Amino acid sequence: MHFKGMLQMKKNFLFTSVTCIIITAFVLAGCKNTGKNNDKGSQPPVPKVDSNNATLLKINNQIFSIPSPIQTALLIKKSGYAYNRQILNSADNYAKYDTKYKRALNLGIYGADLGYISLYDQTQDALLYLASIEKLATDIGLSDMFNPTLVKRFQQNMGKQDSLLSMVSEAFTRSDAYFKDNKQPDISSLVLVGGWVESLYFAVQASTNTQANQKDIIRRIAEQKISLQNLVKMLQPYNNRPEYAQLIKDLSGLSDIFDNVEFVYNYVPPTVDVKNKVTSINSTSEVKMESAILKSISDKIVAIRNQIAG
Amino acid sequence: MKNRITLLAIFCGLMVSCISASAQCDSIANACAKRNMDPSFISDGQQYRALLVNADETAEFHVTFYGGTIYRLAACSGMTDGNLIFTIYDSQKNVLFSSGQYQNAPYWDFSVKSTVDCIIDAQLNPTTNAGSGCAVILIGFKQL
Repeated sequence: MHFKGMLQMKKNFLFTSVTCIIITAFVLAGCKNTGKNNDKGSQPPVPKVDSNNATLLKINNQIFSIPSPIQTALLIKKSGYAYNRQILNSADNYAKYDTKYKRALNLGIYGADLGYISLYDQTQDALLYLASIEKLATDIGLSDMFNPTLVKRFQQNMGKQDSLLSMVSEAFTRSDAYFKDNKQPDISSLVLVGGWVESLYFAVQASTNTQANQKDIIRRIAEQKISLQNLVKMLQPYNNRPEYAQLIKDLSGLSDIFDNVEFVYNYVPPTVDVKNKVTSINSTSEVKMESAILKSISDKIVAIRNQIAG
Repeated sequence: MKNRITLLAIFCGLMVSCISASAQCDSIANACAKRNMDPSFISDGQQYRALLVNADETAEFHVTFYGGTIYRLAACSGMTDGNLIFTIYDSQKNVLFSSGQYQNAPYWDFSVKSTVDCIIDAQLNPTTNAGSGCAVILIGFKQL
């Protein structure tokens, strides 16, 4: 009897141990996958990246930054390009976006539009686009970020360009955080894609304008090569969904054209101002892009943007 | 019986630390922005987060810095400064900056003359982080 009891205890212990190990493995896997989608099994393999002191480098620990559309809009304005309402996605189009996928992409597009409008102090257009953003945002669960209070604050700060840009950026940063907190990094990625596509669309429109400093704008277009590669990598985990797959295919096609852009980088040691906590990055870079490639990029981005905006 | 309780306790501990680390990311990011982001910088619209399970693990942030721009990078883990060490490499793996050389500064500004593609490696500070933590990087910009 005593022997049987011991055997039973051992069995229980073994069972408990195995169960705990399995559950713990799942918990740790869940921890590691925080912020990523649940369809990881269908992801294409992502190459590991070599880096100093890195012991565990995989897709979960690679985070891709997409430059703010406001940065390109700032450059366009600085280049002397006059405000052009025609290049914006119509504020009335919001009603056409009937899926979360379309709403997220076009929220990004409208966000870039609002940033552009704010730079040029176009009060009426700003309120019009803010209203469309509010509607789209509410439809995808962002009513806390884009609400009447934001609209009121926006109205009160009309004419204060820096304040308006900060408000737009903060609202989109909070949206990004919301999607990440709520396990919707796919939606977060779509908003970023929309904003990036629209800012490149602005740039190609401005690049043909003879009044603007085309050289800087064309350079900025060429500099999108790596950002585009990052965008495609960011979307890859969702490649098993048809609408994402089409978007990835379109962006990959654009990336293929960008492969013809030559980026020449020369490292120059940085200098540091410790007192003011500023490091000057002194490295230089040049881009080489033939006009035929610029034309191909322009045609492709117009097609992608119009496909998204509808 | 004791073994069962021990294993259950370990399991629960892992669960709690995982959930709390995830939940803390948002508050860390907000506190980080308040402490280390100057209003003169415009946010790039993203919160970069990675859950690191120990001080040996590294998170990689792939970033493009445009020429003619000043960037501020703020790096946080936990509610106090200095818990996250970050190093910036260019595309040729040259080190452009390491916060470890400056007392684990929680933020730093970068004046960028010409566009560079960079990788930011972030690691938990082993002297202040015994276990896991949420690594948060925030990026703000303004024109030169």
